[in-house]
Amino acid sequence: MTRYLFRRLFLMMFVFLALSLLAFSLGYLFPGDIVQNLSGLRQIDESQRQQLVAYYQLDKNYLQQYLAFLNRIVHGDWGLSFASQQPLLQEVKLLLPATLELAAYALLLSFIIGIPLGIVAAFKPDSIIGKSISALAMIGYSLPIFWWGLLLIMFFSLALGVLPSAGRIGVLYEIPHHSGFMLYDILQADISYRQEALHNALQHLLLPTVVLATFPTTVMVRFVRDAMLNVWEQNYIKTARAKGLNRGQVLYRHGLRNALLPVIRQIGLQFSTLITLAMLTEVIFSWPGIGRWLIDSIYQRNYPAIQAGLLVISTMVIAINMLTEILHAFFNPLARRG
Amino acid sequence: MLLLDIKNLTIELETADGLVRAVDRVSLSLREGETRGLVGESGSGKSLIAKAIVGVLNRRWQVTADRFHWLGKDLLRLSSEQRRQIIGRDIAMIYQEPSRSLDPTAVIGEQLEEAIPDHLLNGPWWRRRALRRKKAIGLLHKVGVREHQRVLQSYPYQLSEGICQKVMIAMAIAKNPKLLIADEPTTALESTTQAQLFRLLASFNQLKGMSVLLISHELESVARYTQKLSVLYCGQLVEAGETRQLLHAPLHPYTDALIKSVPEFQPDLAAKTPLYALPGSIPTLQHVPIGCRLGPRCPNARKECVKTPALERQQNHYFSCHFPLTTKGS
Repeated sequence: MTRYLFRRLFLMMFVFLALSLLAFSLGYLFPGDIVQNLSGLRQIDESQRQQLVAYYQLDKNYLQQYLAFLNRIVHGDWGLSFASQQPLLQEVKLLLPATLELAAYALLLSFIIGIPLGIVAAFKPDSIIGKSISALAMIGYSLPIFWWGLLLIMFFSLALGVLPSAGRIGVLYEIPHHSGFMLYDILQADISYRQEALHNALQHLLLPTVVLATFPTTVMVRFVRDAMLNVWEQNYIKTARAKGLNRGQVLYRHGLRNALLPVIRQIGLQFSTLITLAMLTEVIFSWPGIGRWLIDSIYQRNYPAIQAGLLVISTMVIAINMLTEILHAFFNPLARRG
Repeated sequence: MLLLDIKNLTIELETADGLVRAVDRVSLSLREGETRGLVGESGSGKSLIAKAIVGVLNRRWQVTADRFHWLGKDLLRLSSEQRRQIIGRDIAMIYQEPSRSLDPTAVIGEQLEEAIPDHLLNGPWWRRRALRRKKAIGLLHKVGVREHQRVLQSYPYQLSEGICQKVMIAMAIAKNPKLLIADEPTTALESTTQAQLFRLLASFNQLKGMSVLLISHELESVARYTQKLSVLYCGQLVEAGETRQLLHAPLHPYTDALIKSVPEFQPDLAAKTPLYALPGSIPTLQHVPIGCRLGPRCPNARKECVKTPALERQQNHYFSCHFPLTTKGS
């Protein structure tokens, strides 16, 4: 296990090296002035330029520039945003929790709904229930998420008027910023309208979560169903049946563990798709997260922000990937073998 | 007493080209305390018969029989739940790939302990856990595994195939079954381990009176450890009877060919003479000949062989052939 961990971390180092190289080279690859791209300042006079060139070590060779870049990233100097002229790290810190919150709830929802449905579908593959679950999963899988989101907004927000269509919380409620995670902040805050605020925040959360959870849920249903069907054909299930265990016992003691272990790995693999979809969802629901911010930055040609967004999101995806791999190895004895 | 009494068992598979008959009217019976070998080439349907007895064939296979009795109860007429209870109580089975028949993600101890039925643990419920563990260790000792501590804590992939098969046997005998079905138990093992396992099975048969149905394609090892023998060819039962008598005086040309192809049974075979073998190879299930399925390969085939021969009987010796070999041995 220690060796496995070591090997994984070693591998991750190279991935991060490649990622930082890409992020660094973006400063040159983006159109425009390198000093502007790095610092985020729009108007630079001659004396300031001299200073910045010296600070970014642009007069030195690429290797030294890269090392200086790494040093700045580690120390939190990520430059300014073209659009707001605010430090990028501050902006990211404000926006990232919103995205994480949305993604986490969507992922959780996809487990709660997807895994039981997948198991049911695997047990009744030929019945109406199993077939309709598979059909629904297929439809959800191929549903364009922006269309689905707009459809839900039209129905629940415009036609019925029961759910809000944009934002994280109503403008009436003032929630002191604490961690950036809305529900946690509300529960933490010392305010008299906590109940109402919580209710309002949950209402805001519902539609985006459902929209974002649609795709991972369908993936989960299909994956769990296939894994379960596959496991059910294995010899050890036959052995367990021949031991005289009933169906429930076989499922609980041998089926579930073997079928659900690959699901842990699936989380990591699905996470990048989830983040991409979260960007779309954030745009549709005006959710103040990092995805919407990144897309806005792309429209505004806000190069320093694009660079920072790339760095943050990729790091997050890689880290989650690695974490699930390690968790998988921790729970699955077969993965530790090598 | 007759434990298992099967008459005209037919197992068919639904395919795109219609029903394929993988096992064609096979009869098989087993007395208490008897060891019977089931011999045939791969694809002759011997594993299917075993799986049909235990009831673990999946739904694509259709099983029909005139009689499918276990201790006088017709298994095919019982509900699947009743059937599972009877089989779970009385019949145990071990498979040819032991490491794949053990749950890869559970330690051996857990899997072995769950095979021990509650009624064999006499003690108050709060001592069940300890009793179970003790019984599991005892079972491992019985099958000849000495380092029980290490084995109980291991995952299947950490053990050799031989140990895994011993664990399978330990799991099988945990419930004191009346019948143990061993489906090619030694194919994946080394030859010294093979002999050990056969001796183990034989000793359980002699000490506990447990019947054993030994399925294999190796005639010589089966012949050494069994009292009765059934020979299958391509899903048809060609010959059945006392092992010794059958080896001495086979009545069916296929059995004869099978015996002649094993050098151990031919002590006076001169050096470098080619071994006897039937021409051709076993047909695929989609293209089996009508009538006696050995027909095109049989040295004695005549016009009548396009009709399936009925199972005939000479004392305790059953055979299905229109032209049995009677001259042999006389």
